[in-house]
Amino acid sequence: MRVPLSWLRELCPTDLAVEDLADRLNTAGVHVEKVLYPWAGLSGVIVAEILEKRPHPSSDHLTLARLSTGAGEARVAAGVANWEVGDRVPYAPPGSRVPVLDAPLAVRPMGGEESQGMICSPFELGISGDHGGILVLPSDLPVGGDVATLLGLDDIVLDIEIEPNRPDLMSMLGVARETSGMIGAPVGFPDTSVDEDEEPADSTAIVEVLDAERCPRYLARVIRGVSVAPSPLPVQARLTAAGMRPISNVVDATNYVMLERGQPMHPFDLAELEDHTIVVRRARDRESMITLDGVERLLSSEDLVIADRSHAVGIAGVMGSARAEVSSGTTDVLLESANFERKGILFTGRRLNLATEASLRFERGADPEGVGPAADRAARLIAHWAGGRVLRGAIDIGRAPERIRVAARPSRIARYLATPITAADVRETFNRLGIATEEAGADEVVIEVPGYRQDLRIEEDVIEEVARLRGYDSLPSTMPGAAQPGGLADAYAFRRGVREAMVRAGLRETTSLSFASAGEIELMGEPTSAAVPVANPIDAERAFLRRSLLPGLLRALRLNVARQVRSAALFEVGHVFSLGADGVDEGEHVAAALTGVMGTGHPGERQEADFFDGKGAMETLLSVLGAKDWSLGGPPGPPLHPGRSATVRVGGSAAGVVGELHPRAAGDFDLADRVVVLELDTRVLSLESSREVSVADIPRFPPVRRDLAFLVDQQVPAGAVTDALRAAGGELLFGVELFDAFSGPPLPAGKKNLAYSVEFRATDRTLDNEEVDRVVGAIARLIRTRLGGELRAG
Amino acid sequence: MVADTARSILDEEERRGLAEIAGASDLASLEAAETSTLGRRSRFQEVQRSLGTMGPVERRGIGKRTNEVRDGLRSAIAERRALLETEREDALLRADAVDVTLPGRRPRPGSLHPLTIVEYEIVDIFTRMGYRVVEGPEVETEYYNFDALNIPPENPARRVSDSIYLDVPGRPDLLLRTETSAMQIRTMESQPPPVYVIAPGRVFRNEDVTAKNMPVFHQVEGLAVDEHITFADLKGTLESFYRALLGDRRVRFTPSFFPFVEPGLSAGALCFNCEGAGCPTCGFEGWFEMMGAGMVHPNVLRGVGYDPERYTGFAFGGGYDRLAMARFNIADIRMLWDGDVRFLERFEGAR
Repeated sequence: MRVPLSWLRELCPTDLAVEDLADRLNTAGVHVEKVLYPWAGLSGVIVAEILEKRPHPSSDHLTLARLSTGAGEARVAAGVANWEVGDRVPYAPPGSRVPVLDAPLAVRPMGGEESQGMICSPFELGISGDHGGILVLPSDLPVGGDVATLLGLDDIVLDIEIEPNRPDLMSMLGVARETSGMIGAPVGFPDTSVDEDEEPADSTAIVEVLDAERCPRYLARVIRGVSVAPSPLPVQARLTAAGMRPISNVVDATNYVMLERGQPMHPFDLAELEDHTIVVRRARDRESMITLDGVERLLSSEDLVIADRSHAVGIAGVMGSARAEVSSGTTDVLLESANFERKGILFTGRRLNLATEASLRFERGADPEGVGPAADRAARLIAHWAGGRVLRGAIDIGRAPERIRVAARPSRIARYLATPITAADVRETFNRLGIATEEAGADEVVIEVPGYRQDLRIEEDVIEEVARLRGYDSLPSTMPGAAQPGGLADAYAFRRGVREAMVRAGLRETTSLSFASAGEIELMGEPTSAAVPVANPIDAERAFLRRSLLPGLLRALRLNVARQVRSAALFEVGHVFSLGADGVDEGEHVAAALTGVMGTGHPGERQEADFFDGKGAMETLLSVLGAKDWSLGGPPGPPLHPGRSATVRVGGSAAGVVGELHPRAAGDFDLADRVVVLELDTRVLSLESSREVSVADIPRFPPVRRDLAFLVDQQVPAGAVTDALRAAGGELLFGVELFDAFSGPPLPAGKKNLAYSVEFRATDRTLDNEEVDRVVGAIARLIRTRLGGELRAG
Repeated sequence: MVADTARSILDEEERRGLAEIAGASDLASLEAAETSTLGRRSRFQEVQRSLGTMGPVERRGIGKRTNEVRDGLRSAIAERRALLETEREDALLRADAVDVTLPGRRPRPGSLHPLTIVEYEIVDIFTRMGYRVVEGPEVETEYYNFDALNIPPENPARRVSDSIYLDVPGRPDLLLRTETSAMQIRTMESQPPPVYVIAPGRVFRNEDVTAKNMPVFHQVEGLAVDEHITFADLKGTLESFYRALLGDRRVRFTPSFFPFVEPGLSAGALCFNCEGAGCPTCGFEGWFEMMGAGMVHPNVLRGVGYDPERYTGFAFGGGYDRLAMARFNIADIRMLWDGDVRFLERFEGAR
């Protein structure tokens, strides 16, 4: 809502500087978003009189003017010639500024003749959108006078954010009431008195309301004999400053009053209404109408229309149509001032995707008591600006509802605000806002809520009024005594642990959107039928909710590679979604993706990321979380590399995957190097994890260490040898570490050597060599019988 | 051996021995020098052996001289040996030298995301005040996201086009939550008062990706419901929170409207960028909007079966993406979502 300062000051006189006024309004919750200076770019434009008009010698499009500026003469060329000798026009001499141009005006050649600045259209002065001709000024303006000052083109505008519960602030009067409440200056109400003609309105026109629920009040006044023309220039300037386009004196009068009082109105050309009749009815199904914006609208029986005997002439409370529109030939006007039910306007506006100044006010709730005074005020302005006779009385169907009375207990308000508040204080608050109150009992004040304050319904609303007029910052602050120890939910604390482990594993946390495209779902080896579709996606990238965190991480890797970053090791923790039996199954994953050079820069440690970087990150994660019972299974399939990937089981449940991406899948993300990924279900991890620590079993007796090397067939997995070692080693075997694995000469073809450092220990004694030799013998036998391997040295 | 001969041999061996020891350039030649001066076949030993053949007077004189020479040589050898051993060790260590300017060997550093860092900070402040962290689903129902929060379908804030709805058969009421406020209802339904909780998490709006807006962002919601909770408690809690988070930065509270609170307020901090002068960061207002808050609306309390005459409460909620941007001088919100390593590695030291 744009509030020209001059308008506000007219309704609530104040000398406060604009910044201070904005501060006071903000304190009251009337949020001044910006202070605008629409005419900051206007200076030095003066009133000049045309002394001579002649055609341009070398251009058919230009006309030359000789001007009197009061102090001298000037010559300009103009592109339009709607002016005559003796007219007064706005003249922008060299050095002056107009809002539509960035640079000051200069002397410049136009078709061989010198033009000393220019004469201006309303558009060039920022008065309206009219650039069809030079603005011919009233002849009583003094030659040489400053145009900005004379026409009020120096206004400042407060841009106010309107909360949905305060439609009353969509009016100058509403903002003036708040200003008055804050600074104490009285509100000066605009004059609504009308000089009425003898002829009665109800003998001239008929109104029938067929849907009183959707239109609880419809009031029409009639003004005859108007001359439709542009409004007075200061009115046009003010409408422009308030963000509305000046159209004609009749239309401008209704818009002006809407801005002033918040009541939308509509003028009809009475002669164009069949039988001089207005019918307020539901639209017929599939009835269509071309609204004033030139769009054909298909209506339904849910929509309310304003019609004459045969045709709809407007969508009630939203927008009129070209039929019965006030035009330059209009002489008799039927002025509509009505109240329409909120939801009806809201749903019609939503269905038609149409929001207007009128519909925005009606859908939030216009003042049902304001219908009559607004019509009077508009009729008065029409008569002033367009001439004509205002017919006696009005055709008035329906009435405003009874005022609501809200009771509040001063004692409760005082407790709520932790401040002494008496009944007198409460009454004084509302008195400042011009709202009547009475004391109904020892601890009860009753507020009689005027129609424009639809937000005052319960005691808490009264508390807010008391609080905000005092200013929130001036109320006391205390701390509640929380009667509980604070803390993290288990799942939240566990997620912190997951992040901590991933950071320890040398990964960087990133975050990505919760969406996936169909292609990304399929790339992860899943059918899109299992994914959750978005009903109203903005684009195809967001057609589904993500089932995996990997596409987001791979997009990030692609971005890094494209930006010439040589290595990236990223992780994310986040929610994933899939279709479930009862709607959506929502889970949480932790995932990582690595590519490029690993190691931190020491020459010997630099190597390309591969499977074991991913597995190492996973091992760190599981170890930090205390998940001991885990194992790897066969390759999970697409999109992973068939020979460098594994499924992960934790605590007996499928937990996720680890492995290199299939080169084709990596290629889909423009990744040429090996890409390693890891994705695990955090809920599975949390069931198996344990952060319990015990130091009871730190060994007291020294270990015996043996290095054992086995020669096995190439295809025997190291994990199988390790398992056999553990199985045969039994209780005495404490630590197993694979420290070397190699194949090739001098080993026989098809064989590999696995070298382990093994630690034996007993909890109750120092082991002797014979005991250890017996265990090593058992290990060798098991590896021979189970895996066909040979113990080479021990 | 006559005494004179013995004496001259001792003199000579002393002189020769000391010279040889001093001339030994390594431990092996020092060994040789020791053998030749004090060894079994040395001339010194000859003299020593001959002592028994001498008369008592001569033996005492020569014997004393013998001890003198032996001690002198032994101490010269020990001294020389210590020196040579030090030299040998130095040489070995010199050969073991490395180029100390090569990069160090260290684990690859990881880092937390700036949004996580800010979230932890906020959560930690409130848990110290006695709040419990609760969490809920990102896919919500219209009931929890709107209806139970006193936002009926006709509320202008509830436009289908602003929210991301899901296309799940039989469940047209599912959408991605538009605020963490839904957690207010879930929490109150699950327990009787007193309630002191905060709920951080992702929220969603159907918007395009721009430098200022993302369709996904993060909020933290707070809720306190108890007997005798006042508006002053709300102010005091938020003031304490901001003091812990922002230090002495000025914070203001202005009236504002949210359907699920009454009275409502909006909390703003003096703009981090322009300190109140007005700039693009704060929309030229000078104040940086931090959160919306207010006293829990009695309709909301009644909806979950709490008696609004007995219990009162406050709720607050605010996004922390823009807070993270202000704190870390992030100009473009997309940087939070890109995963650019050059951006992420700046947060290595941050906790």
